[in-house]
Amino acid sequence: MNRILGIVLRVGVLLSGGVIAIGAALFVANHSLDDTSAYLQYNPGLIPHGNFPVSLASISSGLLSLNPFSIIALGFLVLLATPIVRVALSLFLFAAEKDRMFVYLTATVLAILLFSMLATPLIPLFNG
Amino acid sequence: MIVILFFLTLFIASIAAGALGSIVGIGGGLIVIPILTLFLGVDIHYAIGASIVSIIATSSGAAAAYVKDRITNLRIGMFLETATTTGAIIGAAIAAYLSATILEAIFGTILIISLVPLVRKIGEEYPTKQELKGLAKKLNLQGDYVERDGRKIEYNATNPGKGLAGMLVAGLISGLLGIGSGTFKVLSMDLAMKLPMKVSTTTSNFMIGVTAAASAGIYFARGDVNPLITAPVALGILIGASIGTHFLVRAKNTAVRKIFALVLAASAIELIIRALGF
Repeated sequence: MNRILGIVLRVGVLLSGGVIAIGAALFVANHSLDDTSAYLQYNPGLIPHGNFPVSLASISSGLLSLNPFSIIALGFLVLLATPIVRVALSLFLFAAEKDRMFVYLTATVLAILLFSMLATPLIPLFNG
Repeated sequence: MIVILFFLTLFIASIAAGALGSIVGIGGGLIVIPILTLFLGVDIHYAIGASIVSIIATSSGAAAAYVKDRITNLRIGMFLETATTTGAIIGAAIAAYLSATILEAIFGTILIISLVPLVRKIGEEYPTKQELKGLAKKLNLQGDYVERDGRKIEYNATNPGKGLAGMLVAGLISGLLGIGSGTFKVLSMDLAMKLPMKVSTTTSNFMIGVTAAASAGIYFARGDVNPLITAPVALGILIGASIGTHFLVRAKNTAVRKIFALVLAASAIELIIRALGF
């Protein structure tokens, strides 16, 4: 089980690194001499603040046209999934060890994690 | 600046940040944020978004590199993570009502003060073995790891309540200031819970990734995670974290603590400079 956890982490990290590297290579191949200011504009009045894809819909449509920024965003989402998968797999690890106390503790961490990922973006209080 | 130069600068800085972060158990924002804001002229919001990317990449990158040498204590990490994630959510919720400047000044001062007990035990290779009692016994907060020369190092955690309180504060700071607060996590495990230094930094490494993942969704949806910055930071950090981990498993606890003390002093200075408005 510990080994599975290690393998899953390694695959997640290599996959995300690979996807991000492809996106970065595609972007640099076509825009290496562009000025960065066009891509680094921050609009405090608008949500999202930048002009790159942040919703799942815009990322997936960008992937179809091989948009480098969509590919990088996908790689980031894979990276973001690794710590969550790590906690989720630990839950099974503790369950296999019949360590009931730690199954509860890990389930609590996982619940807080999922709550803050899924629910907090919808709560106005958290949107500064 | 042209894209290719921006990429290379950030990539190289991120390798250094990933190596340092994976050794001392912090996320690398310490290096990535000032490089972006001061040197590359990037908006602070994008810099904080990049710091979230760097924290997760350091945490997962280091973990993926350790498969063979298990130093991280998953039990202690998970136990403490309940407090950190709770603190982070509370912090994010009340951030709008508190002054970041005052918080940075307070946190910077706490870090400077904590240098005193840290320096006092700077030469300590292994903590004297604690008696496993109370909550620590109930939760079996102990462990062992094997040094490269084959010696098995066994340890027991003490003061789990103090550790938990320290982590609640660490989580609050993460939520309030958008920083990883790995320094505070390592301090809590090293000074309060008396774990071997390498156990403290690797366990902090596990924890910072989980805490950052909790808030990453908000930053991403807001559009603070800029792909032009994400790519060189993530790639550089993943490579750096792998290099740092190879160093860490061979390093002495005293060496790790010395590097940590320097990083702690640098973070404190950075926070106080930020609070003073430079």
